[in-house]
Amino acid sequence: MSIDYAGFRHELESFVRDACPPEIRAVVAAGQKITKREYQAWQKILDTRGWGAPSWPREAGGTGWDIRQRLIFEEVMAENDCPPLYHHGLGHIGPVIIRFGTPEQKARFLPRILDGSDWWCQGYSEPGSGSDLASLSTSARLDGAEWVVNGQKIWTSHAHEASMIYMLVRTSKEAKKQEGISLLLVPMDTPGITVRPIKTIDGWHHLNEVFFDEVRVRADNLVGDVGKGWTCAKFLLERERLPPANVARLELMRRQVTQLVEEASRAAAGRRDFSGLHHKLLLCEADVKGARVMMAQATDDLIHQRPLGVQPSVIKMTCADVAQRLTTIALDAVGPDAAHRFLADAGEDVPDATWIQNYMFTRARTIAGGTSEVQRNVVAHELLGA
Amino acid sequence: MSTSFPSLFPGMLLDAASRYAEDHMAREVRGDPVRELGWTATLVPEEAGGVGGSLSDLASIVEGLATHGLQLPVIETCAIVPLLLQAAGAETARRWLEAVAEGSAQVAPLTALSATPDDNALTAVHLDIGYELSGVVQGVDVTVAATHYLVPALVDGDDAIFLVDAERVGAPKARYRTMEGRQGADFALQRLAVPEGACIARGAAARDAREKATDAALLLTAADTVAALATLIRQTVAHLKERRQFGVALSTFQVLRHRVADMYVKYLGAKSLTLHCFHEYEQNADGLRRTLRLAKVSLAESARACAESAIQMHGGMGVSEEVLATRTAQRLIASEFRYGDRLLHVTRLLAPQACAAQVSSLSNQTGSVR
Repeated sequence: MSIDYAGFRHELESFVRDACPPEIRAVVAAGQKITKREYQAWQKILDTRGWGAPSWPREAGGTGWDIRQRLIFEEVMAENDCPPLYHHGLGHIGPVIIRFGTPEQKARFLPRILDGSDWWCQGYSEPGSGSDLASLSTSARLDGAEWVVNGQKIWTSHAHEASMIYMLVRTSKEAKKQEGISLLLVPMDTPGITVRPIKTIDGWHHLNEVFFDEVRVRADNLVGDVGKGWTCAKFLLERERLPPANVARLELMRRQVTQLVEEASRAAAGRRDFSGLHHKLLLCEADVKGARVMMAQATDDLIHQRPLGVQPSVIKMTCADVAQRLTTIALDAVGPDAAHRFLADAGEDVPDATWIQNYMFTRARTIAGGTSEVQRNVVAHELLGA
Repeated sequence: MSTSFPSLFPGMLLDAASRYAEDHMAREVRGDPVRELGWTATLVPEEAGGVGGSLSDLASIVEGLATHGLQLPVIETCAIVPLLLQAAGAETARRWLEAVAEGSAQVAPLTALSATPDDNALTAVHLDIGYELSGVVQGVDVTVAATHYLVPALVDGDDAIFLVDAERVGAPKARYRTMEGRQGADFALQRLAVPEGACIARGAAARDAREKATDAALLLTAADTVAALATLIRQTVAHLKERRQFGVALSTFQVLRHRVADMYVKYLGAKSLTLHCFHEYEQNADGLRRTLRLAKVSLAESARACAESAIQMHGGMGVSEEVLATRTAQRLIASEFRYGDRLLHVTRLLAPQACAAQVSSLSNQTGSVR
């Protein structure tokens, strides 16, 4: 059966225009940080319409859309200033539970992701384990019917507003560091968990340290086989690098920054020279067009089950690079008017100050989810061998 | 690594052009291989004795030649010529297209390699007994011989195309080698008298044909650049694996590995953007010219960065013209200046009437691949 993609796009467009509340769209349109409040409200609306999980198969409560439909969905969302889907539940742990979880785990966790009642965060990085994630040392030992967790996670986005954490823990010490790692699902209100905020360079609160002190978790909250958590982690990381949302959001950001530069250059006519910024914006526009075709190509390969090769790495690097260049352009455009009002409380009377924060925030794009240096290693390995 | 560089326009035409280029690599062009191989017939419609092929077919040939670093004026003689001829009246067009397809006439555009075919370097004055052409055209490709020139010119503020005997045009004022190893020449026309019939198109027909030729030239130059980038990276990878210093292969140094990875990311971006351009061309998209200009600016940026990286990573070999990577670097930088350089295209993109389009959304609404 062939799918009418143009009709599908039209259906989505008419729905989101009516259904997405103006106050949520205003936050997205202004380029402000999207919080649990907006994510959760929008997730509920989508779930009620039956579109709560565009990337999930039908039997798991998803839409069963193919990846091209998902790409269109993300584009329509971005074009209409709707929030992206909250990635940790829908994009990351959901698919892992669908792929590796028991029927009981699926029944217990998936519906609460769909309706937004559970809010997930990711316990991967540790103080001593960043790019070298497999060297992690947070441990879990089996004690009767419970796992007992001790250790520390860091750079944990949303931990302060999450109800659940999926985390990698060491369940045994093996010769190979990738073995003996397990994936554990832990309620954030379990005694022994302490969340401490990290003050970040962007002025927003999104990162945390999470401490685990004799945290007891029911044994059937372990996903997949004991000691095989690395398989789940790799499954997840591959998806993390190729989210259909990336390119669509980039186009939204390009439009926002273009408008910002137009306005700033009009306001400062004759006093400041914007020709360099206009030139840089053109290069970003070209790169977004290219990234979109790369994404479509990778999508096509996924549909036809061809190997993706280094495409996820290249797409991730490209999107991160363009996002940083765009916010750098925005920084230059608004700097004189907004740089002295850095901090979230400037948002009300100096809306442009948000772009100073966005500039700082996007520094993390080349670090999180595998640094650009690690991605270059992946590409170089493909081209040059070990 | 072979799977890392899939062809842009695969098929028999690519294979044939690639084989020919490999056999004639780094040799001076003798005779007229473009016409001997029948490539001038590619875009000529079947009813005029041509192949009736598409621009993608021509792109296969361009890709094959660029892969092995051979320079032939395919864009000029196989794309610009038939596209300009189609502006003429039906009978004239058919007769000349036939001659082009069978090779009985060797037609070339009298246009600067650095300018687009919709640019007017020459002006014509209409007299009682024909026209007089005046002006200077610098940097015309004369790698292969021509019996006739197609000459775009401005007549009384109106776009026109002339078809003139090469003998009448006369010898160039200067001949030289171009940066990428083509034969170039400057022509100066001073009130050159041509007969009334030499003006084969005027007004809208001439303007449309010259714009089509401009689109084609920009598209095919992009294809040339992407193919050259693939070759450049392949050659650099081979060099890094072979060359040993300090007792180890250069490919073991992370700083060089990362530099190659960056080149590859730029290559994939350039390739994707070029595919997008061809897609818009096939769809007859409204924003085609804007996308082509964006591609021109973006590819110039990527190509120069990659050319410089490849030269650097080849060390001393990088400055020797015997090395394919070096010649490919020359080709890439020269291509930046073919059919308008980035500064020209940026100026057009930022001209007031173009600004509105910048805020518009992506044009490929179905999300299909190419």
